[in-house]
Amino acid sequence: MVKTERIDAEADEPTPSSAWLIGTAAWFIPGLGHALLKKWPRALLMGGAVWLCFFIGLNMGGHMFDLNAAEGSSQLLQVPPMIANLGTGALYIISWLLGYGFADDPAQAARATYEYGNTFLLIAGLLNYLTMLDAFDVAAGRKS
Amino acid sequence: MRHFLVMTLFAALASIVFGAMGKDTTRERWLYGVKVFAEFMVIGLVLSWVLYFIP
Repeated sequence: MVKTERIDAEADEPTPSSAWLIGTAAWFIPGLGHALLKKWPRALLMGGAVWLCFFIGLNMGGHMFDLNAAEGSSQLLQVPPMIANLGTGALYIISWLLGYGFADDPAQAARATYEYGNTFLLIAGLLNYLTMLDAFDVAAGRKS
Repeated sequence: MRHFLVMTLFAALASIVFGAMGKDTTRERWLYGVKVFAEFMVIGLVLSWVLYFIP
């Protein structure tokens, strides 16, 4: 079967509801999607990379974004980085509920690793979106 | 030195995820992960030297 025929055949197959659940689990707890699929090495590597990236970012003094804009800043500009941060699922939500990593503290912003921390936190979320899509595809039978 | 270590750590974490999801076989995944890691490092170093000469 050539690639285009295979893609057409896959498009006709309905996505199983379990794939959506696995995708949601993969987003909420990084690595859980692959763990539920018993893809242990991938769960450990991909989930572990996201967890590490997140905690290294926090440890560097990184700042996460929510809709509360700082004075003189547009609320709209907060949305794209907030979407990236939100990719870490429960890690973001728990930090937000605890108010940890969201403070606009000048002393924190003065740290040499502040911008590195921000980048690690953003990338943790974006990598987890990739992990989530991979888990979804595996659960839907689109890849092994 | 610390900047280089942070860049290496970043490249390693990103290439682990890219490598793990990128290809079909374990060997291809390893090779792809190493290739992505090398690309991150080389591009990072080139960019840093280019920016070094820009005042």
